[in-house]
Amino acid sequence: MSIVGLLKENYMTLLTAMGKTLELTLLSLVFASLIGLLFGLLNVSKKKWMHVVANVYIDAIRGVPLIVLAFFIYFGIPLATGIKLDALIAGIISLSLNAGAYMAEIVRAGIQSIDKGQLEAARSLGLPYGTAMRRVVLPQAIRVMIPSIINQFIITLKDTSILSVIGFPELTKAGSIIIARNYETFKMWAIIGVMYLIVITTLSKIAKALERRISYGK
Amino acid sequence: MASKISVNGLVKSFGHLEVLKGMNVEIAEGEVVCLIGPSGSGKSTFLRCLNRLEKISGGTVIVDGFDITDKQTDINKVRENIGMVFQHFNLFPNLTVIENIMLAPIELKKSNKEQAKKKAFELLKRVGLEDKADVYPTKLSGGQKQRVAIARALAMNPDIMLFDEPTSALDPEMVGEVLEVMKQLAADGMTMVVVTHEMGFAREVSNRVIFMDGGYIVEEGKPEEIFNNPQNSRTIDFLNKVL
Repeated sequence: MSIVGLLKENYMTLLTAMGKTLELTLLSLVFASLIGLLFGLLNVSKKKWMHVVANVYIDAIRGVPLIVLAFFIYFGIPLATGIKLDALIAGIISLSLNAGAYMAEIVRAGIQSIDKGQLEAARSLGLPYGTAMRRVVLPQAIRVMIPSIINQFIITLKDTSILSVIGFPELTKAGSIIIARNYETFKMWAIIGVMYLIVITTLSKIAKALERRISYGK
Repeated sequence: MASKISVNGLVKSFGHLEVLKGMNVEIAEGEVVCLIGPSGSGKSTFLRCLNRLEKISGGTVIVDGFDITDKQTDINKVRENIGMVFQHFNLFPNLTVIENIMLAPIELKKSNKEQAKKKAFELLKRVGLEDKADVYPTKLSGGQKQRVAIARALAMNPDIMLFDEPTSALDPEMVGEVLEVMKQLAADGMTMVVVTHEMGFAREVSNRVIFMDGGYIVEEGKPEEIFNNPQNSRTIDFLNKVL
């Protein structure tokens, strides 16, 4: 069958699966950002225990492959606890925990890139640490962090394909189901590859434009 | 007169390196004190201990009756009453000039937005920059940045102002405009502690000059005593090099 024929026959399935992929990516990134902000802040804290907690999390996640984490959460935890997790939920938890560790490092690096005179000036005015972070340091750090966040976004989007192993119907899973039916291995994987390529390129172009827009006073 | 700032046996170490080796200083209300001395003598560290930007290793520092070395003291409350001006301005680049000045009064609920804005404009007028209210700090010259930084430090109506080499990062032609604002503050009766290399300013404006070297106060006195008739050989050496 021709590429056009394959597209005609499967476009609904493929687009739906791409929608699932984006849903999983976006939800995971929202949670990953919150996790990353929390652990990034713990990591730059002067309190030693906070630092330790953040590093244990970051090292643990970075030391385990995503596919193992996903198997553990989707197959392991239900067996041990009796709580059956939906594939989407298990997927979001795996991806959020995974991306969260990298986001925590992005947040830490972003905060540390801001001159410490900024925090000192804010504190010298009598602002508490939290307020000084929220109003002075983080707004500047986020600007520095944007390119890395975009990068993490793209990595997480690609990582969703790993979750095909727990049966979540994202794009890669949908592709392998279609191929199991029609045996068009070469053309189908090419189509799927191009779909990822288009979405990721478009998103990173949008993100770049956003990045330019929010530079202030320059 | 009661001391505004009272420092007793202040010690500050960074790891094994002892930077301040037991300082005793009393500063009265309305007094303008200049700290001079070679680099590495501990002047800036001493200044930064006065609002506890540096953790104090030993001794006591009492500001406005609050012992800031005591863990029970709410340091943020004390800091509201101590303005600080930094060598590198440290304006917040993500906020406009007026937002820089309004940040603390609004966040600390000292005033509502209207009052804070009015006050900020008054302060900008005082430093001669009311036309720069809505620009971002990156658009300002060094001298203008430092004047905004002074306005920002004044926004909480402090009784005490600390200046950490406020003109050292400025191009020479901009030093005068910043010193002028500081002279005005001194004339208005502000208690000021100034770390400076501007000997002219120290001589002309201060009530007292403290010469520091190696973490100690080597000599202190009225500016004319220190500049015209220094007693200690290290003071003489230093002044010969800088004057």
